[in-house]
Amino acid sequence: MCLAVPGKLVRREDGSDPLMGTVNFGGILKNVCLDWIPDVRVGEYVIVHVGFAISKVNESEALQTLQLFKDMQSGSHVSGKSEAVQRKTT
Amino acid sequence: MDKTNDTRTIVIDPVTRIEGHAKITIRLDENGRVADARFHVNEFRGFEKFCEGRLVWEMPGLTSRICGICPASHLIASAKAGDDILAIQIPETAELLRRVLMLGQWIQSHALSFFHLSAPDFLLGFDADPATRNLFGLLANNKEFLRKGIRLRKFGQEIIAILGGRRIHTPWAVAGGVRDPMSNEEHAAIAAWLPEAKATVLEAIDVMKSVNDRYRKEIPNFGNFRSLYVGLVAEDGSFEYYGGGIRVMDGMGNTLADRVPPREYARLFEEKSEEWTYLKVPYYKSFGPAEGMYRVGPLARLNICDRMGTPLAEAERRTFRQLAGEQETVNNAFFYHYARTIEMLFAVEEVERLLGHPLIRGLHVRARAMINSMSGVGACEAPRGTLFHHYEVDENGVLQKVNLLIATAQNNSAMNRTVRQLAARYLDGKEVTEGLLNRIEAGIRCYDPCLSCSTHAAGSMALHVVLESADGTILDERKR
Repeated sequence: MCLAVPGKLVRREDGSDPLMGTVNFGGILKNVCLDWIPDVRVGEYVIVHVGFAISKVNESEALQTLQLFKDMQSGSHVSGKSEAVQRKTT
Repeated sequence: MDKTNDTRTIVIDPVTRIEGHAKITIRLDENGRVADARFHVNEFRGFEKFCEGRLVWEMPGLTSRICGICPASHLIASAKAGDDILAIQIPETAELLRRVLMLGQWIQSHALSFFHLSAPDFLLGFDADPATRNLFGLLANNKEFLRKGIRLRKFGQEIIAILGGRRIHTPWAVAGGVRDPMSNEEHAAIAAWLPEAKATVLEAIDVMKSVNDRYRKEIPNFGNFRSLYVGLVAEDGSFEYYGGGIRVMDGMGNTLADRVPPREYARLFEEKSEEWTYLKVPYYKSFGPAEGMYRVGPLARLNICDRMGTPLAEAERRTFRQLAGEQETVNNAFFYHYARTIEMLFAVEEVERLLGHPLIRGLHVRARAMINSMSGVGACEAPRGTLFHHYEVDENGVLQKVNLLIATAQNNSAMNRTVRQLAARYLDGKEVTEGLLNRIEAGIRCYDPCLSCSTHAAGSMALHVVLESADGTILDERKR
């Protein structure tokens, strides 16, 4: 399943068409389209799918989700191979 | 089923997923012809393990929080697995409300896929300059059309928000039913959208049909092959998205299994782990891994059902069926798009029908019970295909085992085959050209896979295509 990583909107390019903005995912900045949720404000958390901010998430929800990811990272694992291993075997 | 013996275990930092590419490997044979293609989906696999030890009642909230694209579908599948463990019949009103929620998810998800992800391919053409073959290019001439698409998606989102209490990741659906009934105001708010939504969907279907005409020459190369089709159908064989049983049909229209209770899904399907992908790749058990390849989602659902339950969508389904001729199913992945627009029409009509049901505003929405069964399966049709949640619990409801079967995994073999077909047709020599990349992207997009949520720039798939010779030497690669 795909992971819904919430990111924080740090910039809105008001006047752009489509409406674009910058979302911060734990330090990685992404340029995303905000047309689906044009009333989103800087500082709010959003879920992004294929470059589109698809929904807003309130801060406590977002922080809970991020905590959940942290727990998963420390408490569980991914079965499979890293990109590097894949490259060797394919 | 699970690949727990793999020693090459790595920890995935969710943040690294933001920068990932969808990787595709195309392998040639000794004669330089396309032998195989693989679409590597870097899906997260730790989630099922992570859930073990938690309480079954936590699952609807947990799964819908983790899965960003279709939280409502996971919510429903999870609540239904819970119903199965409580071994109770939920109140009729609760089922009606869950159905409305699911349709909201469909409208929202299908509108995004059609208007924003696929329309640039359709309306600007596969050979248009990638710099403009995207949302920005589309906006230049189709602003009003796109605006309607945004409104349509908003309608779906509003349904989810209204029922889920203004939160997207909400455990509104619970084992035994739902938490809150629908108020008169909420009923009116949803109903008010219907005329506009229906008009927009009908326009989308018209656009879709003209696209089908315009690309008549290209379409036969877009994942055009016989496969099995899997989905839910109602007791009377009609189109289903919430209840019913599993139907398996082959690519010639023969029904292989019918109305199998979702609880018995493991009797029908086997999952195998492949070393090249994080996904478990399921197949129809009695046919084996190669022949047992099946497709789920809009194309499959329209193929397997005997009829739609609503008049306009049924009329459209008949037109869709004509694409296949008399006997066969529609085997071309390009028609996923058309099927998706028909499903949007069904969803709007069905919401209207459900809102008119005498029990929709009933107040009895939740049944309560203790753990009555140690195992439960919940299935529903997510926008991209059949979704299964399978839980095993102890007598206190603590999860001992969790297995989720998601649509993108079920479609993975067919996506590989689609890429292979496109590569065989459009690969020119030993170079990955822009035109090939565009078509691979468009081919994969037919299935609307749920890739890592954030790996793409506004509608443009982050692709990494590698071309290999028979001995594994990299001949060419292209990234964007």
